[in-house]
Amino acid sequence: MALLETIGVTKRFGGLTAVMKMDFKIEQGEILSIIGPNGAGKTTFFNTLTGIYRPEEGKIIFNGHPLIGLRPDQIAALGISRTFQNIRLFGNMTVIENILVGMHTRLKQNPLQVLLRNKAFMEEEQEAEARAAQLMQYVGLTNVGNELARNLPYGAQRRVEIARALAANPTLLLLDEPTAGMNPQETAEAIKLFRRIRDEKGITILLIEHDMRVVMSISERITVMDYGEKIAEGLPEQIRSNQRVIEAYLGRETVSEKG
Amino acid sequence: MQRFLKSIQLRELLRPLGQMIAFSLGSSAVLSLIIIILALILDQTAVGASTMARFKVSLFSYTIVNLPQVLIDGLTLGFVYAAIALGYTMVYGVLEFINFAHSEIFAIGAFVGVEILIALKGREILSTEMSVGNAYWWLILALLAGMAAAGLAAVVVERLAYRPLRGAPRLVPLISAIGVSFFLQDAIRLIESITTGQFHRIIPTFGNFDQRLTFGSMPLGAGSISLGVQIKSLIVIIAAVVMLIGLNYLVNATKVGKAIRAVAQDRATASLMGIDVNHIIALTFLIGGMLGGAAGVLYALKFTRIDPFVGFFPGLKAFTAAVLGGIGNLTGALLGGIVLGLLETFAGTFMSIFTMGAAGAEYKDIFAFSILILVLIFRPHGLMGENVGQKA
Amino acid sequence: MKTLGTFSQEMLRRIQSGYMPYLVSILHALVGIYLVYTSPRSNIAFLIFISSLLTLYTVKTSAAYKVTAGVLLAVVVMPILGVRNIFYLEILFQICVFAALALGLNIVVGFAGLLDLGYVAFYAVGAYLWAFFGSQQYYVIPYAPGTQPADLPFLLPGDMFYLFLMLAVIIAAVTGILLGLPVLRLRGDYLAIVTLGFGEVIRVLANNLDKPWNITNGPQGITPIQRPTLPPAVVDLFNNTLGPVIGHPVKASDVYNVLFYLMALLIILVIILVARRLDDSKIGRAWTAIREDETAAIAMGIPLVRMKLAAFAAGASFAGAMGVMFAASRTFVSPESFSFMQSIGVLTMVILGGIGSIPGVILGAAVVVLLNLQVLQGLSLYLSQLRQSDAVIPIINFAWKNLSTQLDPAKYQRLLFGIILILMMIFRPAGLIPAARRQRELAVEESGD
Repeated sequence: MALLETIGVTKRFGGLTAVMKMDFKIEQGEILSIIGPNGAGKTTFFNTLTGIYRPEEGKIIFNGHPLIGLRPDQIAALGISRTFQNIRLFGNMTVIENILVGMHTRLKQNPLQVLLRNKAFMEEEQEAEARAAQLMQYVGLTNVGNELARNLPYGAQRRVEIARALAANPTLLLLDEPTAGMNPQETAEAIKLFRRIRDEKGITILLIEHDMRVVMSISERITVMDYGEKIAEGLPEQIRSNQRVIEAYLGRETVSEKG
Repeated sequence: MQRFLKSIQLRELLRPLGQMIAFSLGSSAVLSLIIIILALILDQTAVGASTMARFKVSLFSYTIVNLPQVLIDGLTLGFVYAAIALGYTMVYGVLEFINFAHSEIFAIGAFVGVEILIALKGREILSTEMSVGNAYWWLILALLAGMAAAGLAAVVVERLAYRPLRGAPRLVPLISAIGVSFFLQDAIRLIESITTGQFHRIIPTFGNFDQRLTFGSMPLGAGSISLGVQIKSLIVIIAAVVMLIGLNYLVNATKVGKAIRAVAQDRATASLMGIDVNHIIALTFLIGGMLGGAAGVLYALKFTRIDPFVGFFPGLKAFTAAVLGGIGNLTGALLGGIVLGLLETFAGTFMSIFTMGAAGAEYKDIFAFSILILVLIFRPHGLMGENVGQKA
Repeated sequence: MKTLGTFSQEMLRRIQSGYMPYLVSILHALVGIYLVYTSPRSNIAFLIFISSLLTLYTVKTSAAYKVTAGVLLAVVVMPILGVRNIFYLEILFQICVFAALALGLNIVVGFAGLLDLGYVAFYAVGAYLWAFFGSQQYYVIPYAPGTQPADLPFLLPGDMFYLFLMLAVIIAAVTGILLGLPVLRLRGDYLAIVTLGFGEVIRVLANNLDKPWNITNGPQGITPIQRPTLPPAVVDLFNNTLGPVIGHPVKASDVYNVLFYLMALLIILVIILVARRLDDSKIGRAWTAIREDETAAIAMGIPLVRMKLAAFAAGASFAGAMGVMFAASRTFVSPESFSFMQSIGVLTMVILGGIGSIPGVILGAAVVVLLNLQVLQGLSLYLSQLRQSDAVIPIINFAWKNLSTQLDPAKYQRLLFGIILILMMIFRPAGLIPAARRQRELAVEESGD
């Protein structure tokens, strides 16, 4: 059984159909990319998966749970974490606090324990802090735990966002253009990090990406969208040689790369 | 001549007029129907009996007889609300920010207009015996002065208290606006106290504005109720209609209006297209302020007494109207104003009799406010607002 | 200029090092105490005295010293000085009441970023709760205001006050949830208007619920409201121990004032404790996350409506408790005390002091109350003296006598609040004492180097 499956998901905005009858599957432990030209509906599709938009038609099943109708926080609690296309950290919180917020659904403390500060609470907080510090190390951040997130450089903010998403112990990690704005070296490190996340933590990764080098080097499978529809899916080599994809996407990309 | 007519795009003049007529008639009809049905039902209950005991008529005929007057009063109030609501909605459309101080801009308009009329009365230029034509000229002068002062005040407020905060988190300009609102209330009071020794002002009586045109009377129990409309109510409605048409024309049929709409759509892109965004925002405040100022003078004309806090409740109601219609939407503000004005007048007139005196006109503000909450729950984007998707 | 700057920095460094901080804070407190003790009517003396707490807060000393000195000043010295001049005790009490309200509002506005413009509505709920049950009002229900017989009994004994203090917490919280449920899904600025409207609704209800049943006694308000009983022994004890220092025999009513002051202080302590603990937990982090970015917060699994409701309820509950305190201490409530003005006043305190900052909002409350009660009223007094004199403003040749009696600075709170709000937003949006995020010791990080 697939980890996440969508059947005929359709999302419309007024007259515009942003996502059309999307049938999509991702297996446990995969790294899968969704690509497509600008405005193809990739981010909208992400937003239907995470519950920000409610699709007009179709089914989304994650780990056996139907997701349609659930709120974004309920979906997150089921084990889907995400990052955002334009980084959305909690700017006036420290890096450590950002990561602790990511653990929200995993912390068991109740209001009474919070007020009494009993042993269970203190232990949980300490463990959480220790884990947050580990996660910082894991994504390659050092000595910035007490910095306000908004004061960090761009690349570090991307890392914090990934650490925050990992903090929830997700089964599925959704990354929305995670290497946008990175230089080649940062990109290479990011690719390495994503592989490690999958290999070491066994987290399935679904990403939206524009940078074809990233897509081709990391993806095990690729789904291509154009005008809200899935136009192709398969292994990277298959996608590379798919005529429709080249027309819709790679064609434009090669032209722009030459220019 | 024909080319000139063509160039002024008649459609943009007729469309809002049509809308106003349609909204007025439509909401009047719907609300009348509801209240009549309610009266018919309650007539069979203790409410009907108590009306019979008090007025010697059935609740149904009481309602029918009072209805025309309620509709006229409600529409008058509705157009005042609409004129204020436009100020809120324009600024919201462009800046996505509730200009909390708009109610004080309204008050400034009212005070400037009324002070000018009081000064003229003091020089005995205005009197009840003066020629009707002159009276109208002076009233228009006061209206224009109120508009100018309020427009200017709005621009100054924007420049000093809002512009430095552009780009700050949402709460920041809102709190600044609350500060401006409070500051202006007391500033008006201070200036009035120092210069005139008091801060409650009453518009002088002159001309024939207080006269009532009667269309006849309807029997009610032993006596009868005369049907009519005060001339000043007509002035309020006509002035508001003219302004609303003018605004609609400005926004939808001129180059400046196009720039305003562009800035409302997307500030960054508009500025890339060579639009001076600051200029357009200031202009938006100017127009909204002028409408608010005019509404202030009209309000003073209709309700005669003003004080520095006069803007608070009309402002709150007008904001409700703007939300009711769909904030950011000019037509919506118009519809919201009319609906709210009618609803409030209906509540003020009928609530007491329908609840057998338990809850009377003093609850009409709560009634209007409950409408706001209901609208926000069931139609958060108002009657005419479109659902704007969240961006992730 | 530069030398002056370095000089003052050097001075500051010296004051903040070694035993100097202790000396400075003690000196400031002693001077203040001496001045207030010897000239109990002077506003300046009082300001010097009360600002010594601020000095104590800013100097770099051990926490133990700060706490001890603070408790000594607040719990022992202030009541004594306050009983010598009851006006000071009144100001202190007001500061405490408003500090408590500001701390409560700070949870809603500062922590969770929800602009509540009708916060005093919850305060009113608490006040009217005890006003109704702690007075004769229950038996007044059938009578129109002013027509009830004089000899009606009280519904509950005065000592039920303590129970109602707890009850008010719950009832205000429930009110907050009931209001919050429909409106908390709305965008922030809509919430501001809806809460504003709600504040007005409560006030209008208080004004009009004198018919058909007389529940609130309308604009006249409810009085007398009972206070908890005070055993005569306490008054005697107070007189016997502190009588010589105070210099005149102390009446029971003064001891009541001290009692309410101390109770308000206690409630503030509880609020601070609760607020800090909430802030430094999963709940508080969720609030801040919501404040910073709702979309990101919900994607992290934070249930928005539930967390916002929690903030609303927590803020409301404190206001409810303070309402009961207020009703009992005044023995009188009327709708006037719960106007929109008051809500804005509390908001001003939060903004001025530092949104989200606990020491900040306390300072904000103190500054605003002092400005209101001392500076504005002092100006009023001064102006009315001028008005009675034959003095003339030079140059424009204006006789003070002719100055309108409408011009009473004490009535210009709006001007004051308005200016504070605008200036703070433009020049210092984080407030006088900006909120600081907690710095953590991160063991792994250090060992990782």
